[in-house]
Amino acid sequence: MIEAIFSQPAYAATKKLMDATALRHEAIASNIANIETPNYKRIDIAPSFQTELQNAMGSKDASKISSISPGLAEDQTAVAANRDGNTVQLESELMKLNQNTLAHTLETQLVTGTLLKLRMAITGRAQ
Amino acid sequence: MDPISAMRFAGAAGIGGLPPGGPPIEAPKIPANELQSLGNISTPQPNSVQGGRAFSDFLGQMVQDVNAKQAAASGAVEGVLTGQNVPLHQAMIAMEEASVSFQLMVEVRNKLLESYQELMRMQI
Amino acid sequence: MIHTLTGIDSTASALSAERVRMEVITQNIANANTTRGLNGKPYQRQVVVFEQALRDAQGAYNGPGGGPQKVEVARIDIDNRPSRLVFNPGHPEADADGMVAMPNVNIHEEMADLIAASRAFEANLAVVKNARSMALQTLSIGRR
Repeated sequence: MIEAIFSQPAYAATKKLMDATALRHEAIASNIANIETPNYKRIDIAPSFQTELQNAMGSKDASKISSISPGLAEDQTAVAANRDGNTVQLESELMKLNQNTLAHTLETQLVTGTLLKLRMAITGRAQ
Repeated sequence: MDPISAMRFAGAAGIGGLPPGGPPIEAPKIPANELQSLGNISTPQPNSVQGGRAFSDFLGQMVQDVNAKQAAASGAVEGVLTGQNVPLHQAMIAMEEASVSFQLMVEVRNKLLESYQELMRMQI
Repeated sequence: MIHTLTGIDSTASALSAERVRMEVITQNIANANTTRGLNGKPYQRQVVVFEQALRDAQGAYNGPGGGPQKVEVARIDIDNRPSRLVFNPGHPEADADGMVAMPNVNIHEEMADLIAASRAFEANLAVVKNARSMALQTLSIGRR
């Protein structure tokens, strides 16, 4: 019954996106760590996660949103720029790193906002 | 018949107080069937709500839910501290949700106490 | 070991691997003119070979199709290209034709490698910086 106050679809989706953001950081860290490794293929969040999340959000059901989980997969669209078969490009990887960090900032602020609003609704005071 | 409507009925029948116009001349006559229904005042049951679950069930469920939230939060924090690869944000969010749930329970308790005290202050 | 920074295993391994590479490169540059090494022959250029290694602690996210990797220095190879022969009759190591065998270190190649290695090192430093700021923000969830 307490769970009902946390069952807004937007809040559940934000929490799920935070999982995906943390996982994407792992992927980017692995990619940048291996830019000089021969034959390394770039990894990222599996593209199916985006469609799954959109379908789950369309259903407006928080438990459905919470049940999907992001995974990592090799990026099939990346091409090798060098002869050694490494598909990582440093500039685009660094840009993805910055975008990911910013997305994480946004998500923490959304989660914090929701929690503070709940507290205000419960106690009637801002703190 | 519940107590409130029984009291109204008694007031309408003229029992239980001096009528405003002066001392009673004679005791008013009460039909037998109305006396019968007066005798059927039942003691109020402490937990029943008309057509709903018992309130004590509601409170018990709330306490259990809050407990479950706290257990989940401490489990997540333990996972982070023992290096079991629980992501930090999951532990933080679990802790905050447990704290919000606990605050909700405390406020419900406060409101219940207030209403109980207000009820006791009511003059009959 | 508490893992508060995400991806720290990959990044830490890359930082130490690139450091090893930079040390090997500086050693090559320092010995670019060493005509008599420890074994009596001219210095042979050394090359670092990287390989990826699956991280042991995959954690809750090991989804299908591979997980995050860390990088390791597999070995330090000796570059077996022949030494450069330079005509220098006055040199103490000159042979009968006046040719001296110089180490097979090409300074331009080494400088390019050094630039690539330090670029990779700084990129990994940026990853750690981002991970740290993400973790600090995570710790302030729910706080005003």
